[in-house]
Amino acid sequence: MDILSLTLLGGLLALDGTAFGQFMVSRPLVAGVLTGWLVGDPASGLLIGGILEVYFISIFPVGGAEFPEGGPPTMVAVATGALVPGPAGIALGTFLGFLLSKAGAISTRFLRRLNGRLVPDPSRRRVTSARIVWAHLGAVALEFLRGCALSLVGLLAGGLLVEVTSGHWPIGLSGTFVLLTVGASLTAGAFVGTLGGWRRRGVLFGAGLTGFLVASLVL
Amino acid sequence: MRSIGRTARWSAFFRSFLVQGSWNNRTMIGGGFAFAILPVLKRLNRGDPAGLSEALQRHSEHFNAHPYLSNLALGAASRMEADEHSEEDIRRFKAAVRSPLGGVGDALVWVGWRPATVLAALLLALAGATPAFTVLFFLFAYNVGHLALRLWGFGVGLERGSRVSESIRKAALSKKADRLSGLGVFLMGGVIGSAIGRSWSIDNWPILLLAVVGGVWGLWLGSLVGQKVWRWTFLGVSGAIGLIFLVGWIG
Repeated sequence: MDILSLTLLGGLLALDGTAFGQFMVSRPLVAGVLTGWLVGDPASGLLIGGILEVYFISIFPVGGAEFPEGGPPTMVAVATGALVPGPAGIALGTFLGFLLSKAGAISTRFLRRLNGRLVPDPSRRRVTSARIVWAHLGAVALEFLRGCALSLVGLLAGGLLVEVTSGHWPIGLSGTFVLLTVGASLTAGAFVGTLGGWRRRGVLFGAGLTGFLVASLVL
Repeated sequence: MRSIGRTARWSAFFRSFLVQGSWNNRTMIGGGFAFAILPVLKRLNRGDPAGLSEALQRHSEHFNAHPYLSNLALGAASRMEADEHSEEDIRRFKAAVRSPLGGVGDALVWVGWRPATVLAALLLALAGATPAFTVLFFLFAYNVGHLALRLWGFGVGLERGSRVSESIRKAALSKKADRLSGLGVFLMGGVIGSAIGRSWSIDNWPILLLAVVGGVWGLWLGSLVGQKVWRWTFLGVSGAIGLIFLVGWIG
């Protein structure tokens, strides 16, 4: 898949994140599989997207708070991770996904400041319908361009990292599994803590864990 | 009462998908709200440019709510404009609903519905569903609720106008949010149980044991720290991966 198509996909994923619709195409799980299809490896897309999804599960975009971006970073994570076979690809993809999610949050902060200058200020001057429409659609277009730029930078950095890190992942699949599991359990714990804590939700959590553990061992 | 008209209604509804398009710290979704309600205002103020300008002025002011439930305010404000409520009434109404629509929407969708549907999809993936089926299941399940909420909000707002608070109370959205949160926690337990079950084999039990011990510690610590834990987790895991690559590169 060429870099232009992936960059455009990154722009569309950024739009879905906040500016247009929020149909959740930008969730890591969906963005991962979509990118996986584009690069010819949907299984890797599901794996890396699924891992990132668990890390993003406890992040709720409430009250206009700054939060890490999921869509374009997952696209870069999968497109890069799919180039490297085995656990090194998973590790590299996750690494890039985390770094770019923070870069996405920072660039969104700057874009929101710019939007503040773009949209008409009703306390200062007369607002016209043309001004409302152009400022709003302009802000949407800028969001698309921001997503494209973040994706392009991420893909270029990813290509460079593939060259540099190739063959230098010493801990194998088991070590990678333990590292990512411990990290994911922190956000899973935060999820339970935010939704009522162990005292209130412990029984439900335990029931789910036991039920599905037994089912997956028996079936 | 003036008629809003079918075309203007649907146009406002479809524009509401872009309500957060110009999100900013000054007016938040105020610009998006004005953009969405514009077809209604144009229809109601045909041949009255001064009236249209005044209406735009009040609707482009600061406003914020959950993006899906902002449709309720959009529908209600459209009805109030059609019923020729005073400028002050409309301002007061929007100021009164923005916090409840934000709080209830966040709890219902971001904390309840979204995690529940995405965790159900992850469970399907762990059970062996194909990537395509997993993703289509999630998108379908999530968006059925998403679109239903947008349509319900806009419809109720248009019908009830400034009297929407009664409909919100009747819908018991907070109770639904709490139930969905419970379902989310149950499914989170299920994802972890299913992942352990699928990783289990007699050959790798020491690794699995290490992951379980680390996982239990992580669950406990994460629940203590709460939502902000993602900052340290992202930093810690990416730092550890970077360090391991560096060790591999030097060695």
